[in-house]
Amino acid sequence: MRKILFAICTLIGLIVPAHAEPLSPADLKSLLTQIQDKRGAAPQMQADFQEEKFIHLMTKPIMSAGKVWFQAPDKFRREVKGNSPSVTVGDGQQLWIYYPNFKSAEHYSLGKRSPLDATIAALLAGLNLQNVESNYRVTASKIDNGYQLDLVPRRPSLKRFFQRLSVQINAESRAQRTEMLQPNGDRIVTTYSNHVTGPIPPSTFEFTPPPGTEITTPLGK
Amino acid sequence: MRISDFIARVVTQRRGLVWCGVAALATVCIAILATRIRLDSDVLNILPAKFSSIAGLKIYDRDFEQTRELTFALLCDPADVDRLEEFAPIFADNLRHQPWCERVLAGSPMETPEGIRDLQSIAVPLLLNLEPAAFDETMSILQPAKMRERLRRLHQQIEAGSPRPEFELSFDPLGLIAPALKPFAERNALEEEQPLTSPDRTMRVFLAVTNQTSISAFECQRLMRQVNAFRAQAREGWEGGPLEVLVTGRSAYVAEISLSMRYDIVATLLGSILLVGIIFFFGFHRWIPLLGMGFSLLLSCLVALALGLLVFGRLSMVAVGFCAILVGLGVDFAILIFGRYQQARTDSESHRDAIATSVAKLGRAVFFGALTTAVGFLALVLSGSMGFSQLGVLIAIGIFFAGLFMCTILFLFIRERQAPLRHDWVFEIVKKYVRWSVRRPAPVLIFSTAILFLLSAIGFSPVPPLHFEASTRSLEPKNSRASHALEAIMHKMPMRWEPVLAIVQGRDPQELHDDWQEISAHWSALQAAGKIKSFSTPAALCLSPNSMQRNRERLRAINFQTTRQALEETLDAEGFSRDSFAPAFTLLDELQRVVDPNAPLLNWRNQLPKSSSWWFLIDRYFARNPLLTTGFVTTNEPISTHAQAEDLGRDLPVAGVPMILSGWSYALADLLPWSHRQLLIISALMAIFDVSLLAILYRDLRLWTIQVITLAFAIGAMVASMKLLHIYLNLLNVLSFRLVLAIGVDYGIYVVLVWQKTRELEHDVAGVVKPVILAGLTAISGFGSLGIARNPSLSGLGITCAIGIFWSLVATIFFTLPAAAAAKPKLWREDKIDMR
Repeated sequence: MRKILFAICTLIGLIVPAHAEPLSPADLKSLLTQIQDKRGAAPQMQADFQEEKFIHLMTKPIMSAGKVWFQAPDKFRREVKGNSPSVTVGDGQQLWIYYPNFKSAEHYSLGKRSPLDATIAALLAGLNLQNVESNYRVTASKIDNGYQLDLVPRRPSLKRFFQRLSVQINAESRAQRTEMLQPNGDRIVTTYSNHVTGPIPPSTFEFTPPPGTEITTPLGK
Repeated sequence: MRISDFIARVVTQRRGLVWCGVAALATVCIAILATRIRLDSDVLNILPAKFSSIAGLKIYDRDFEQTRELTFALLCDPADVDRLEEFAPIFADNLRHQPWCERVLAGSPMETPEGIRDLQSIAVPLLLNLEPAAFDETMSILQPAKMRERLRRLHQQIEAGSPRPEFELSFDPLGLIAPALKPFAERNALEEEQPLTSPDRTMRVFLAVTNQTSISAFECQRLMRQVNAFRAQAREGWEGGPLEVLVTGRSAYVAEISLSMRYDIVATLLGSILLVGIIFFFGFHRWIPLLGMGFSLLLSCLVALALGLLVFGRLSMVAVGFCAILVGLGVDFAILIFGRYQQARTDSESHRDAIATSVAKLGRAVFFGALTTAVGFLALVLSGSMGFSQLGVLIAIGIFFAGLFMCTILFLFIRERQAPLRHDWVFEIVKKYVRWSVRRPAPVLIFSTAILFLLSAIGFSPVPPLHFEASTRSLEPKNSRASHALEAIMHKMPMRWEPVLAIVQGRDPQELHDDWQEISAHWSALQAAGKIKSFSTPAALCLSPNSMQRNRERLRAINFQTTRQALEETLDAEGFSRDSFAPAFTLLDELQRVVDPNAPLLNWRNQLPKSSSWWFLIDRYFARNPLLTTGFVTTNEPISTHAQAEDLGRDLPVAGVPMILSGWSYALADLLPWSHRQLLIISALMAIFDVSLLAILYRDLRLWTIQVITLAFAIGAMVASMKLLHIYLNLLNVLSFRLVLAIGVDYGIYVVLVWQKTRELEHDVAGVVKPVILAGLTAISGFGSLGIARNPSLSGLGITCAIGIFWSLVATIFFTLPAAAAAKPKLWREDKIDMR
């Protein structure tokens, strides 16, 4: 089943670019400037998301849905709903992942060459397209309702985490769909909807574990 | 017949016989050198062997693999950090393919699939090595209910979006490997503090183990030639701005130090010969006696080296440096003897009579001069350092032979028909000064006393202090590339300091395991009490045959068939891919295999591939003999005082566990009292011997007092100069004090003895003051020429000796002479004529 799904996705992946029109370097530059301007004007956003993870450990893709809040350049909150809920909060220095079902939380420090830095960079790449050229080789093409940006990481630390990231944006430069291909063949496809821009309370990007939570630091302090 | 007459007769009438004797002696010495020479280039042998911290350093240096490790670093501009990250794997790959390279560590092994696979491969022996309670708890994970619970939880965490379960399942699908490695990981804090990338990402560090067969100087030079060739082309593929390729490590240092020693020997010898030659010719207008002096000194060096080899069997490279000191000391004898000979010739004595006169007049002074110097340097035997002991003995032997040869062989190079000097203007100037200071000693005495007293006050005052540099840096060559590389790495990497090493050797694996368990528990308590910052030990890797046997028996209680079936069912139920869990099934198979009592117990050493990066970590803990191990303790702050070393020496050991504490910082702090003892007690002993000898020799309280004050002034002015010129003491230039004392005593003996005995001031006092000045100038030039050496210890020794000898000479000429004239007035010949 997993192989069939993979074949379908690959086929789709081959077909879609066939209809896409690659942008010239000048157009790409203009597009990136346009994205940057729009993101600069509205640095805070929130949206609903749906995610499909195709990972080699599992025979079936893992589906999840929830809501994400983002404030440029590196603050975010991601709440996963459903049977296995979780809350992920990052403020640029720290990352918390809280599992209400287990009453446990993982705490990571960021920015000290932590292996998670690349993970977070990749996670936010679709939401934060500012200065994207410094970390990625970027190509773009025009698609039906917007553009598709293909990001190939420049840095080996990012390359270790993913090989390629495709970001589809709509006419308002908002991320509609991202697809990340990892070196071990795993893929993560995320689609965003119900975008809202506007101020977000700072407390959204803060996290205090509820009393009784078991806290672990998997990568040490 | 007097000895002086006998020497004069033999040297003048049996020249052929004397030459044959010299040739025979030289042949025997060269034969001994050629057949027996063995040089010890180990800098550690300079330090006293009786200290266990030094013994520990030697063990670590000799038996652990780190001696064959080179550290490479790539340093780029801040703008090129991303390029450096891309280039690092290319560089590491090139390094790996060098014929002299055995292994390379370019990043944490945990970041590579090979590193994870290697760790999985040693899981079974480490699992069996767990303490019984920990083993039972770990193996309970294989119970079907627990296995299901764990995989369900991980599944839910994956769904929740945690990155952790994916990594955990890839590395440890059954959940057994992490507990097996837990004791190892817990005590591996040092690795976290020693990253391979600088925080600003402009530097990447690579560790490489070479395949060199020995760490001899020549082998290191050969290796470094290859390494430097690699460095020259290592930037291929780099597209950024300037990229520095740095290399450091033991081999890099040994190669540089040995090459700089060769330069030092040639440069300082040539410089010394040139300067001494110029001064000698300036004073005597003769070349052939200069040749004789050089020949006699060379022969005394040869004899000392040959006898030294017979006594010690192997000579330290530092001890071989005695030649420079011997030349500095021996030149004095030659100049004095030849000066007095020339003066006798000027007084119309025959060649043979002039030889007899010079030996008769100065032979005693030369003998006592050689005796004080020899005893002074023999005091180094008390230092406990093999290098310094050899140095002392070689100089003692050499100086005696130098004195003997200057009174005999030197005259083979003086021709009978050579006309005496008609007009010696140097002598005339000296004579004028001697006449003035003898007739009116007060002005010069007051002036010199004031200057020397002021300097001595500065010298002996605690402010400003005289710094002691007890650091290995004082032994490194100047402009050392290896040193520059190390400095750059230390500058770029997060602040850290050298840990204390604790070397433990077990008689068998069980004892080693038990010892480290006890040590780990003790150090954990010290860490909890805040007495140490952190520590790491090989405890988890020291296998316990008892635990392994016991745990193997416990494995029999597990039904592996049921476990396997439960795992398969759980994987299917949770939607995990069986293919991804292949390592879990392999691990179950391996565990099932060791249940067989006939199967040999596994050893992780045999399981881990030779190319594995983990060996870099393991080699830090285990010597080539697996029963010889070391642990590391990071102190709360760098070790710089003896009190810190004492505290650690008291706190770290565990009763009943033989342990050697070591490490460079620890050892140097441990050595501080020894260094001060070297400076104070041994120099004081030598001073006591010297002043006692002078008391016996002079048998005159006033002259003896003058000589003692002269020595105090010389040392005081020397220390003051060092303080004012910011010259630090180090492990080698401490020697300069006894050298200056020895030479100062010699100058005093020459002048005071002659003053005491003579009735003809013009001949004898002026006749000895000129050679003393020339001898002083040659010694200053000889030692001063060591200043151009690349080795800071050698150049420091040369400069401090030159300063000390300068002040000895000044004190002798401008204080001893006028003070003796004031204390024991004598009439100048012309005064006598006037009086008549």
